Amino acid sequence: MTTDKPIEPDVYPAHPTKAKAFLKGTIAMMPLTIAVVPWGILAGSFAIEVGLTPIESQAMSAIIFAGAAQLVALGMVKAGIGLWSILITTLLITSRHLLYAMAMRSQISPLPLKWRLTLGFLLTDELFAIANQGKLHKFDPWYALGGGLSFYIGWNIATLLGIVAGNAIENLGELGLDFAIAATFIALVVPTVKKPSILVCVLVSLSLAVVCAAFEIQAGLLIAAIAGMTAGVLYAKITKEDERKILNPLANSQTETDAHSERKADATTQPEGKI
Amino acid sequence: MIWLMIFSMAAIVFISRHLLLEPKLPLRLSKGTQTFLSYSAPAVLTAIFAPIVFVQEGTLDLSLENSYLICAVVATVLALVTRNTLLTTVLSMGLFFVIH
Repeated sequence: MTTDKPIEPDVYPAHPTKAKAFLKGTIAMMPLTIAVVPWGILAGSFAIEVGLTPIESQAMSAIIFAGAAQLVALGMVKAGIGLWSILITTLLITSRHLLYAMAMRSQISPLPLKWRLTLGFLLTDELFAIANQGKLHKFDPWYALGGGLSFYIGWNIATLLGIVAGNAIENLGELGLDFAIAATFIALVVPTVKKPSILVCVLVSLSLAVVCAAFEIQAGLLIAAIAGMTAGVLYAKITKEDERKILNPLANSQTETDAHSERKADATTQPEGKI
Repeated sequence: MIWLMIFSMAAIVFISRHLLLEPKLPLRLSKGTQTFLSYSAPAVLTAIFAPIVFVQEGTLDLSLENSYLICAVVATVLALVTRNTLLTTVLSMGLFFVIH
């Protein structure tokens, strides 16, 4: 991509060199790039199983670059469902990126078009997790590019492995490669639970997503996510979570400790406590 | 048909990622909207992984037979204790492939 693209040197003074920031982003993303390998293998092998050619299977990862949408779409192709339904479902699954883009807007929209297009294309759940560090950290596009591009390459290599394996190994689907999705997202979500309102948000989203999945409600992901976000905001408002923080800086760390222990308590009682 | 699907899906995904990064779109984010969005990542990611963990073959499975659930609990504890993304994913996935 545009790693050698010239850019005003005085605009992003946070890092001494672009290469350093790029490398830093690559390293920050590394755990997620490794974790996405089983998932990529699943995407490649499943595409072959559904009946796509190796080129088409690779093109899904190279051009669409959206794991959840790819896997769901492949499942629908396998079930013989038509293109329009696949596209509407894709729209539902991918709509979360609208939220990510909105959250990143203040940081990315002032950049030149090439940067916007590139980072827009690379804006995955994982890139959002490492690049959207809030206002405390200065946003560096080279850092984001390093994270996003290395993740893109990792995803495509893993897909290729899956295509090769899918041609060679029977019943790859029964290995449970989809657990990789769960493990990755749990590792991403747990550290974000820094205050009680986020815990509320996660629990509401989790419960509704499970209920919707059990009842095969197609829009479950959207319903659960929006309800979870709303619940988090309302909880923060009712308990005046943020005001406490402003009034007393010490309360901030106290709140974090609370969320931490609550989450832990929750984890140990997860099977019973959820539904 | 497959190529048409690939390119139209790619268009939908790219537009959803890029649209709100466009400065020409006259969109201002209020404080309330920004607060709302700060909850998007945990909510959306949870809504994606929860059914994988809790729902097996179309029904809720809270039994100890559900290796997805056991390993998800292990992953949650690992994430809390270690705060290390790589360790959490690798160890919980390792356990999963052993017991699944």
